[in-house]
Amino acid sequence: MVDDIVPRVEMYGIRKSFGEVIALDGVDFKAGKGEIHALLGENGAGKTTLMNILSGLYRLDEGQISINRREVSIHSPLDAIEAGIGMVHQHVELISNFTALENILLGREGSRWKINLDAHRDSAEKLAANYGLSIPLNEPVKSLSAGIQQKVEILKALYHGADILILDEPTTMLTPQEVDGLFSTLKALAEGGLTVIFITHKIKEVLDNCDQITVFRGGRKIDTTSREAASRKMLVQMMVGERGTPPENKRPAGPAAALDGLPVLSVRGINTSAKWGVPLQDITFDIPRGLIVGLAGVSGNGQKELAEALAGLIDIDKGDIHLNGTEVSKLSVSARIARGISLVPQDRIEEGILPSLSLSENFVLGLHPHIFKRRGFFEQDTANELCRNAIQEFNILAKNEHVPSAHLSGGNIQKMIVARSMMISNKTGKNLMIANNPTRGLDIMAASFVHGRLNELRSHGAGVLLISEDLDELCLMCDRIIAIHSGELFGSFDGPDYDIYQIGFLMAGQKLETGS
Amino acid sequence: MASSGAAELNEWRKTVAEFMITYSTAAALSLICGAAFIASFGGDVFVAFGTVLHTSLGTWGGFAQTLNKFCPLLLGSLAVAFGMRGGHFNIGVDGQIYAGAIGMTGTAFALEGLNLPWPVFVPLGMLGGIMAGWFWGFIPGILRVRYRVSEIFVTVMLNFIALYLVDYLTNGPWNDPMAGEAISLPIPSASELPQVMPKSGAHFGFIIALAVAVGMYFLMTRTIIGYEVRAVGDNPRAARFGGINVNRVTLVIMPTCGALAGLAGAIEVSGFHQSLLLGITGSEGAPNYGAMAILIAVIGRNNPLGVTAAAAVFAVLLAGSDSLQRSIGLPGAAVFVFQAIIVLAVLYVEARRKISVR
Repeated sequence: MVDDIVPRVEMYGIRKSFGEVIALDGVDFKAGKGEIHALLGENGAGKTTLMNILSGLYRLDEGQISINRREVSIHSPLDAIEAGIGMVHQHVELISNFTALENILLGREGSRWKINLDAHRDSAEKLAANYGLSIPLNEPVKSLSAGIQQKVEILKALYHGADILILDEPTTMLTPQEVDGLFSTLKALAEGGLTVIFITHKIKEVLDNCDQITVFRGGRKIDTTSREAASRKMLVQMMVGERGTPPENKRPAGPAAALDGLPVLSVRGINTSAKWGVPLQDITFDIPRGLIVGLAGVSGNGQKELAEALAGLIDIDKGDIHLNGTEVSKLSVSARIARGISLVPQDRIEEGILPSLSLSENFVLGLHPHIFKRRGFFEQDTANELCRNAIQEFNILAKNEHVPSAHLSGGNIQKMIVARSMMISNKTGKNLMIANNPTRGLDIMAASFVHGRLNELRSHGAGVLLISEDLDELCLMCDRIIAIHSGELFGSFDGPDYDIYQIGFLMAGQKLETGS
Repeated sequence: MASSGAAELNEWRKTVAEFMITYSTAAALSLICGAAFIASFGGDVFVAFGTVLHTSLGTWGGFAQTLNKFCPLLLGSLAVAFGMRGGHFNIGVDGQIYAGAIGMTGTAFALEGLNLPWPVFVPLGMLGGIMAGWFWGFIPGILRVRYRVSEIFVTVMLNFIALYLVDYLTNGPWNDPMAGEAISLPIPSASELPQVMPKSGAHFGFIIALAVAVGMYFLMTRTIIGYEVRAVGDNPRAARFGGINVNRVTLVIMPTCGALAGLAGAIEVSGFHQSLLLGITGSEGAPNYGAMAILIAVIGRNNPLGVTAAAAVFAVLLAGSDSLQRSIGLPGAAVFVFQAIIVLAVLYVEARRKISVR
């Protein structure tokens, strides 16, 4: 198949290492004209590194690159732009005070002294119209939504003459509707003859939208296959490799415990001030025992603030929070932990660990006022033993419990944090667990492990609030999903069958006409 | 269990080995640089080093001097190190030493009429010094917690306030009219710290300081508050997520730093000067204890035991500094250049090791 198409990008024997870490180990890659080519793999598989080499951000150690059958040497992003390569990064890299047009022109102003804005505006508008990209060119970028900002980035790449467009994890900040819009744009671009290279770890998007799929694992290319020949199972196997198949985490439908008891968590009309971030407005919801409730929303719409308000990290101005029927909103973080509110924080490095303290000292953080026999004393032996058990049970890869926690990999740090929250939950009567994006950046095995633990808590009768930007994850895990937008809750859906478009509608802040 | 014990031992061996490599390299480096420095001034390197060591360790009087310097250096550097571990930069050790000295002197004068025996009077005087130092540390602590004022500025300002307070007291209300200079009346003899070596003049201070260092080590590693201090110092945000009240911990850290340095000031008055005067925060022509304490804390990696060793080295150099002038005609300040070379050598070797690990 591939050989029939005119190859536009050819990369042979690409090797790249950072210090002792080999990021790419002799990778070959080919993408043709007019195709959408997915690069699939877990974090650290090498897919982004390969594209950073193509777009001139990194220099390769070994290997060669050809564009349109001509060998090129790419030493800088400028070389890449000249070769017709444009990259849209995971996080939007626009200047937020500039208008869309000014951002698009950046680096292409022409004369040093004077910019003919009108001429540029005309040609940018023409280009946008060609591909059905509707962008308010005169608006400052900061007033545009994440989906539109991404379109600005795409138009910018096209305006700079790209006929190879690379997108790195472009769907993480989008609602399902915006994701669909993005793919119809990409398909139009491919039909117009562009080569679109699409970096992702989401198998569903790949199977739905891409022509060719190349799977990476551990710095090597595993295989390239066409969409017709691929299946979900096969792709997972290729991504995970020898480590076996992740468990499916199937669980019985319906709540694990009776719903008529007192809810674990009952939140009534809480408001927070803008000084803590996105202000929460009149948040009201319940979490019954034995249920996983999902909070869906585009990142930065108050999820973090809600989690922190429940945990006692930020003050609420109004409303109340009941845990098992008792008001807790005036209690300290520590007192709430003692009553069984445990939080898996969003940022595991900044909020989750004490980097230079030992693993066992990290492991008892939160419960440390309660688990030692002699009041006021820190008993290293007790902490070590608890931590050793957790290392075994959760299969945490660490030399021993004395190493500084910063020495662990991200996935193992997250395992430690989840293990710690599980211990807090178990020792405080299995009440409320708040998990804020607990699987972000984890590989499939580690994510599946975390999911298994959340299900275990649920079956023990705890209530779980699962916050995630990944709707697929929420649909898989949750008994109920509520959507948040600009600090307000919209609607509530009961599973197990969810209409993700309806949820996406609410995530974008539009009220449902029909109600849910 | 057996295997984990062995692993632990191995880990410990590695730590010790790493420690030895770092510090012996740094020691060698600073000896070479120090030698080059002395030679460049035309001095005889071996005579210089020999004289310093002989003066501070080889004579009874010099050894007593070394022990007496060791006490404020150790307590002062513990006051820096404890703050550092908790994420706070205490550069107010000099002010806290002065505050402690004022507290000691004031207590001694206030209780003078009671005719207390020394085993009661001395501890009470020390307590007065500790409390004054505690208060001098409480001010930056509370300003930090309430108004987010950097403790760096506040402790520097408090250094000046304490200095001029001593200036006022020694010239004004507590002035000794017979002395004809800015010095207080002598404290009552029952409030004087007893001597360990009466002939050569070493007082009990170094024993107190050593006991405090061991106590601080225990506090840091074996108590909840020590754990919380280390947690806050390592990552205050994660500590807060773990239920630690960061403000409360700050209000333990800064006053404790002040109390440690305050004890040093009290001992200087009660054990060495027997009066309050300007200049108790260091010897003539030498950097103040507060400045040296920061260097010692850096070399000792803010660990009470490491700080103890580093303070001992600095005490030896400090006590031997005067002899350089006599033996090879170098100014005593050459010793402080050497101290700075040690600090730079340690920092350099550590940085190199960190780079090579990556």
